[in-house]
Amino acid sequence: MGAFDRNLAATLYAPRPAPEWIRALRETACAAWGAAPWPTRKTEAWKYTALDALDATAWLRCAEAGEPGFDAAALVPGLDADRLVFVNGCYRAELSCLGAQPGVRVVNFRAANSGDRATIDGALGQLATGTDNPFVALNGCWLDDGVLLHVGAGVRARRPVHVVHVGAAPDGPSAHAQRLLAVLGRGAELDLVEQFVDLPGAGESLVAGLSELRVGEGARLGHCRLHGEQERAIHIGAVYVELARDARCESLLFALGGALKRIDFRLRHRGQGASCRLDGIYLARHRQHVDLHTTVEHEVAHATTEQVCRGIVDDAARAVFNGRIHIHPQAQKSSAELSNRNLLLSDEAEVDTKPELEIYADDVRCSHGATVSRIDEKSLYYLLTRGIGRREAEVLLGYGFVNELVSRVGDEALAATLREVVRDWLGQPGLPAGGDAA
Amino acid sequence: MSEQIESLLKQDYAAGFVTAVESETLPPGLDENVVRLISAKKGEPAWLTEWRLEAYRGWRQMAEPTWAHVHFPPVDFDAVSYYSAPKSMADGPKSLDEVDPELLRTYEKLGIPLHERAKLAGVAVDAVFDSVSVVTTFKEKLHEAGVVFCPISEAVHTHPELVRKYLGSVVPRRDNFYAALNSAVFSDGSFVYIPPGVRCPMELSTYFRINEAKTGQFERTLIIADEGSHVSYLEGCTAPMRDENQLHAAVVELVALKGARIKYSTVQNWYPGDRDGKGGIYNFVTKRGLCHDHASISWTQVETGSAITWKYPSVVLRGDHSVGEFYSVALTNNLQQADTGTKMIHLGRNTRSTIISKGISAGRSSNAYRGLVRISPRAEGARNYTQCDSLLIGDRCGAHTFPYIESRNASATVEHEATTSKVSEDQLFLCRQRGLDAEKAVSMIVNGFCREVFKELPMEFAVEAGKLLEVSLEGSVG
Repeated sequence: MGAFDRNLAATLYAPRPAPEWIRALRETACAAWGAAPWPTRKTEAWKYTALDALDATAWLRCAEAGEPGFDAAALVPGLDADRLVFVNGCYRAELSCLGAQPGVRVVNFRAANSGDRATIDGALGQLATGTDNPFVALNGCWLDDGVLLHVGAGVRARRPVHVVHVGAAPDGPSAHAQRLLAVLGRGAELDLVEQFVDLPGAGESLVAGLSELRVGEGARLGHCRLHGEQERAIHIGAVYVELARDARCESLLFALGGALKRIDFRLRHRGQGASCRLDGIYLARHRQHVDLHTTVEHEVAHATTEQVCRGIVDDAARAVFNGRIHIHPQAQKSSAELSNRNLLLSDEAEVDTKPELEIYADDVRCSHGATVSRIDEKSLYYLLTRGIGRREAEVLLGYGFVNELVSRVGDEALAATLREVVRDWLGQPGLPAGGDAA
Repeated sequence: MSEQIESLLKQDYAAGFVTAVESETLPPGLDENVVRLISAKKGEPAWLTEWRLEAYRGWRQMAEPTWAHVHFPPVDFDAVSYYSAPKSMADGPKSLDEVDPELLRTYEKLGIPLHERAKLAGVAVDAVFDSVSVVTTFKEKLHEAGVVFCPISEAVHTHPELVRKYLGSVVPRRDNFYAALNSAVFSDGSFVYIPPGVRCPMELSTYFRINEAKTGQFERTLIIADEGSHVSYLEGCTAPMRDENQLHAAVVELVALKGARIKYSTVQNWYPGDRDGKGGIYNFVTKRGLCHDHASISWTQVETGSAITWKYPSVVLRGDHSVGEFYSVALTNNLQQADTGTKMIHLGRNTRSTIISKGISAGRSSNAYRGLVRISPRAEGARNYTQCDSLLIGDRCGAHTFPYIESRNASATVEHEATTSKVSEDQLFLCRQRGLDAEKAVSMIVNGFCREVFKELPMEFAVEAGKLLEVSLEGSVG
């Protein structure tokens, strides 16, 4: 067992053939990665998340496209979507299914035409500058392919876009990047599902994720990022969102724990009247570690943020939540609410939460709340008195706890899949399907 | 309206006068010799000199903390004088009559009860003028109850076993940069010991005051409440107006033994600097209490002064069933910056803590709440409730909330909530409709906003605190 080799990491993908523009991006990123200060326990944003888990990836090696042999459509049954499938970071056209939608461009980076390139050149890396997060640079170092979504002005995408990242290849561990750029024109509408899954037998992996979502004036983006990798997987990812005037983003981040799972979600309100709903669910058990950092920048007046994050932590797992809301001096009439609730199911589990408010304007309404506790004894008692077993009652209450957020997902097929995951996780497959069970 | 605001905001710092007393001050700078000299001047025993030196060596290796949400030019610790005592002390006044009349007039201007008011209010005052305690009243009465209330420099000689046992037991010498500095050079402060089962017959009070220019003040307070005892301690602070920034790095240690109860109240109005942020006190204070079984410690603070505040009165709930409380009003105006809050460390079973923090920001100030609630794996059934509210007055100030919650016990319940808003237009309208001017209305609303904290203060302080807020805030509404 050696330590994580940062120099090796920087040049890991350098030999991999790629279009010239991707190689150029890699080089820039490598310089940034080399210059970026390495987070320690003293780094505020990494106070509760040690990078020791990276030491276990001394094996660092490029990912190879693994053997597919699975049905991507079955991941979210009933989701009628344009689907892009990446296996170990490599785009697999034969598993993907792209239907033509007028005004909607869905393409992987390597297949980008000159028009796509213009969009990419104008937007890629604009939101994720990476000055505050070295792993944004790492994502650039490993850039090999990615997804471009472009929805033209006034176009409402008829079908959602489903981007699937599959870990396969039982022939050893692998490291790769996930990259996505979405640009929504004025008044455009799009639903996007990013899903990470591992096939049975998938080895260890280290994934540096990065999605940039740019939402134009009056446009609406529905976004779900679903992390369901196996336990040994390490994912350090970031999602950057920018909202123009009157734009709206409704996002759900759903994460099961892993050896190390760290997501930085950063949203900027750039235009007045912008609004967002950011929901988060994290479920961690065994010795898993899950860390969700969110930052919402209110840079202009009249923007609205509504954020609810909930987590269930069992066994000796650890969950970290940091939710920062920053109201800039000119952002009068801002409204921001954040709630973070955590259920601790075991005495060995740990939750570290820090909701933050940083406010420089006076005519605002901001609040945040955080709780950490076990399942409410009174609710439990109520169910027990009705003849429900203790274990079953706990599952019901835990399910209800997160189902409140799942119920806000617009797409029924997706919501059903999420419920299934929650049920599986709680170890109770017999719950009634659909609806608010608790 | 805006002229009115201007004039009120320009209001002078009422306690900003300088007393011309000849004092003995060490030249600026700090090395081992200065530490030895301070210790020698106080005729301290060898162990304490060594203790200070050890702290000094630790301090030399430490870096100034930079994580707080405050910004100021670096402090030149070699430009600070680390000891200052009024000269007339050398002869040692035996009673109030012998005290330098200049000093007494200073206290009078501050409105501190030394003569009649002390008796009327039933307050025993251990007044610290710069660094040396000038006079201690009510000692007799306290003596009857067995209560020890004296300057810590005296306690070193009269109660060496207690001082040696508890000094640094709650805030270790190398706890943090400023605590280490204080441990090395602390000048004086109060020492309180309440014997087992005794309920202190009166409220104890100390007024701190920084007088000499370019002197840092480093008091050290140690309060020990023995088993089943009860004490309420009041601390008030003011400083004269000076252009330079002055350093204040105090350490307060509270020890509540089994079943004891300590209530520690502070009203702090150190000079906040002028409207352009010139001058003012740098207040870098470490306050911490340790609770044994069934003990309780309650911090109540009203902070309206200081250019920079860096202060986190904390409670370590080591004993089972112990209770920690923190009630705070922090007000910043003009260019003041405050980063203040509390730490509640739950170690024992069924420990409980309550945090009520009210931050008010006006002018171009910055006011941050920073708190930590830590539930250790052993803290079965622990309970915390935190409420942080911020009120913004004016659109150029900042209000921030940074609560850290670390829970490692499933049976514990931790709740935190925070809100930020401005003075409600509806409430203002209602008040004005009933004939109150905007000033009065805001004052009323702010007082209401702070009520939960004020009601925790002893009566005399509650009145003073209310007045302080009114003075500091009047006119900031617009």
